[in-house]
Amino acid sequence: MTGQEYIAKRVADQAAACGVELVASLPDNWMAAVIREFGSDDRFRHVPVNREESAVGLCSGAFLSGTGSLAVMGASGLMTLIYAITKINYTYEIPMTILATLRGAPGDKAKFHVSNGLYFLPSLDAINLTYTVIDRAEKIPEVGRIYDHARTVSRPTVAILTRDVLRGEA
Amino acid sequence: MAIPYRAAFQFLADRWTNELVVTSAGNSSQMWWDVTRDADRVFYLDASMSLSTLLASGVAYGLPQAKVWAFMGDGAFIMNPGMLMVERDLNLPNLTHILVSNRVYGGTSDLDLPNKPVNDYVGMAKSIGLEGIWSFETMGQLEGGFDAAFCGNAEGHRFVVLEVDPFTPEDHAIEEPPMDGPEIKFRFGRYIEKTYGAKVFTGQF
Repeated sequence: MTGQEYIAKRVADQAAACGVELVASLPDNWMAAVIREFGSDDRFRHVPVNREESAVGLCSGAFLSGTGSLAVMGASGLMTLIYAITKINYTYEIPMTILATLRGAPGDKAKFHVSNGLYFLPSLDAINLTYTVIDRAEKIPEVGRIYDHARTVSRPTVAILTRDVLRGEA
Repeated sequence: MAIPYRAAFQFLADRWTNELVVTSAGNSSQMWWDVTRDADRVFYLDASMSLSTLLASGVAYGLPQAKVWAFMGDGAFIMNPGMLMVERDLNLPNLTHILVSNRVYGGTSDLDLPNKPVNDYVGMAKSIGLEGIWSFETMGQLEGGFDAAFCGNAEGHRFVVLEVDPFTPEDHAIEEPPMDGPEIKFRFGRYIEKTYGAKVFTGQF
């Protein structure tokens, strides 16, 4: 098992412990091992989606059926969700939890993520979207805490994983 | 040809039994509220820009014993037609996607959709691999095909195109569902808890 696979397994275990059954995802390279893990783990129904908004719809509906769910995506995908989150999850007070990547942070050599480095976290702050940054493997249990917090406050929450954690290097 | 919007919705409301209903932005929320006045079995999803049937898919996935009708305006549909790929993958036999096609943005002053004369929603659905597809352009067609299109629950996802007229001036005057978001959530969720035994709000921790 590679370091990435080990981290992915730990994330999946956290999700299962929360009662997550349905996982909707759209890939980010950094999140690929996590998505493969959800896809191969019989504890979950993994649904690849066509765009990140679709994950918001699906997970919000799952909540209304009493089904635990999780959306998995990259930072860029989350940046496209401002309307969907504020319109659905804020207006109707529907909780959901998103796993995302901390793109554009130091260590990310992709120039096309420079904008995420500048605006990703400030954008979440601008809409008061609660998040936690998981920058060390021992913080992976924060996935469960942020998931439960969404239910407590009836709002969406985000667990943001760094490159080094997802590569099994932190 | 097209069915008067109100007549199509009144017809469906008259045959509505125990289905959960999710409406889409603007017109379908207004009209379904006007013809049913139901606030418990309906989630009035306003202005989601194409997410009504996916929200309904989440409901249908978690409640396989329920039947779910989901309205989607064609203005929303063309923003995200790839939704059908996700719905096809899920292939939920208890979900009926009702595409309300009036070829205008009904919630925003009836301005035209792009490419409106030739948009072929049935063709789009077929190209994505959907098999349970119906299209109704007259009231007679809807009356004759209703049972086949709406009443089954074992053959996979259903996609129904209703070709309707835009709202009349009188239709535009009807009210929006007079509830804020949290009330809609709680009434719908409490109904699901009571009817299906699901734990939507209770027992989460």
